[in-house]
Amino acid sequence: MRDVLVRVASAAALVIAPWLVGCGGHEARTLKMRTALDAGDAKGAIKALNEEMDVGSDKELPKDIMGDNALLVLDRGSIQQSLARFDLSKQDFEAADKAIDMLDLAHNAGDSIGEYVFSGSSGKYRAPPYEKLMINTLDMLNYLEQGDLNGARVEARRLSVIHRYYRDTLKQPDNPVLGLGSLLAGFTFEKSNETDEALRYYDEALQFAGFRAIEGPVARLAAQGSYRSPRIKALLEKEPASVNPDDGEILFVVGYGRVPHKIGERIPIGLALTLYADAISPADRVAANKLALQGLVTWINFPTLAPAKGKYAVPTVRLDDRYVQLEEAVDVDREVRAEWKKIEGKIIVSAITRMIARFAVGQGIQAAAGKDSVGGLLASLAAQATLTALDTPDTRSWETLPARIAIARVRVPPGRHRVLLDARGWQRSQELVIQKGGWAVVSLMALR
Amino acid sequence: MPLRFLSTRSLGAVLALGLPLLVTGCGKEVIRGADDPSVDAHALSTGLDKEDLKRALRDTLNKLRVSPVMNEWRTTNPQPVVAIFPFQNTTSEHIESALDTILSEAETWLLESNVVRVVSRERQAEMIREVEGQQNAVFNPANAAKYGKQLGAKYFITGKVSGNDERSEDMRRVQYFLYMQVIDVETSEIRFQAKSEITKAIK
Repeated sequence: MRDVLVRVASAAALVIAPWLVGCGGHEARTLKMRTALDAGDAKGAIKALNEEMDVGSDKELPKDIMGDNALLVLDRGSIQQSLARFDLSKQDFEAADKAIDMLDLAHNAGDSIGEYVFSGSSGKYRAPPYEKLMINTLDMLNYLEQGDLNGARVEARRLSVIHRYYRDTLKQPDNPVLGLGSLLAGFTFEKSNETDEALRYYDEALQFAGFRAIEGPVARLAAQGSYRSPRIKALLEKEPASVNPDDGEILFVVGYGRVPHKIGERIPIGLALTLYADAISPADRVAANKLALQGLVTWINFPTLAPAKGKYAVPTVRLDDRYVQLEEAVDVDREVRAEWKKIEGKIIVSAITRMIARFAVGQGIQAAAGKDSVGGLLASLAAQATLTALDTPDTRSWETLPARIAIARVRVPPGRHRVLLDARGWQRSQELVIQKGGWAVVSLMALR
Repeated sequence: MPLRFLSTRSLGAVLALGLPLLVTGCGKEVIRGADDPSVDAHALSTGLDKEDLKRALRDTLNKLRVSPVMNEWRTTNPQPVVAIFPFQNTTSEHIESALDTILSEAETWLLESNVVRVVSRERQAEMIREVEGQQNAVFNPANAAKYGKQLGAKYFITGKVSGNDERSEDMRRVQYFLYMQVIDVETSEIRFQAKSEITKAIK
């Protein structure tokens, strides 16, 4: 019996060995992309992603998108948007949106067990709320850039479905990133002449931040509609400044920096117990302390957040010969950190549970081989070391979300206008023709 | 007990276990729907596919076939001119290409029925540009009667697809409602209306 167990352990180590090579986790898959973005080389970043997904062109989707590749497609969609290639960005966002939703729906108990026993990244990816809300928000922006209100309305409705799901089913209070989505949805329905629907979305947007940029336009719109809420009523009480009805409008959306991506950490259990004592239950702490005292292969692997990029930059927008005042619409970086704080404890506990499971496997092999068997000891250590190496921290996330997004909404007389958007050395310059009562949405995503 | 290396038999078992894992994912096959009709039978997403469109159109056009307005067309001489305008998408899915297919199928069906003359879609696009202006040449349902008049059409066919999209922890369901209308250009009277329903879900 002992012979059989030792052989099984050796056999398992041999079978698993090939997977030890290249198990760098998601952050390793995106390293080239991040490096290219840091250098301001968006096309190089797309090339790196295409290589990682094994696709031959920017238009091609990976053969298997129903896995972690969905995140790479999301990254590519963001970078395409930063290059103002809105059709390609739409294709990527929409394919990834469906895949991420499918992964979320397919997540089951087996995934959770795998995360607690085998590896942090063994389960299917579950996107946090801000990521799911941002997919539809940024895709709506693609449609608005192209003046396609039909497409933008579809994305606004998709955003509402996910919002309702978080609010009503998961009982999660409103997410601050929804402010920007609601603002864009309000703009979409306003320009589609669906006044009450627009007011409903604007009302949602107004609860998250100041959004002074839309107070005047919303007050003027509210006078034409019947939707009322305490916020809308308050705006109506202020006397909105009169405007020339022939004027057009430009909505500027500027994203800059990148949210923190996740990186793998590997620390001894003793240090983990010191650093994360508050997150661990008393029973787990006793078991982990016992292992820490033995000092053998007692490392825990877990993900943590890397520093954000460029969130303190000062973006500028120049319209003809004047600068436009931007206003912060959403601090995505802060939302990423807040969400991380909520789940950090669970992640540490699952990492310690995995470590205890590895130790138990080692003990089992040692017991089967005999207490004093050197071979058994070696097999036990080999099995634990193998399982430790296989325990890849879950570093999956949408890494190319801008750290912050700012907006401005300005009225302009009909005619030609030149705009110049600048953030962190990324620029977009464009000439716009605004018709009488017309509109345009111009964005810049400086993902550096 | 000294550590023993694997016997030949164990090595064989290991290879037998490991190889299938290594070859997983190799080789995809391209299938022709005409050779394997089951390809069309599976739903792949909550969007509208060929099977959904076929079913919805069959229901709707069968209702149109026996409707009073169709009977009137059969006996009208000269044949009335009919324009087919885009269907509005008020769902949460990007189904514009599916809606285009519906329009083309309806157009083909009408031409084959040989009871009306149908305005070409290219001419309609020109007319929309004329009415809405070059920069925003998008079909506006509020101006449908205006387009129809300028095209010399007696009737126009239009419609919309609305949807109810719901999400729970383990399921996403989209219920589509396809409405088709025949409207008299002069009076704006709805001469025919039919609804068909399609439900798609991921669970």
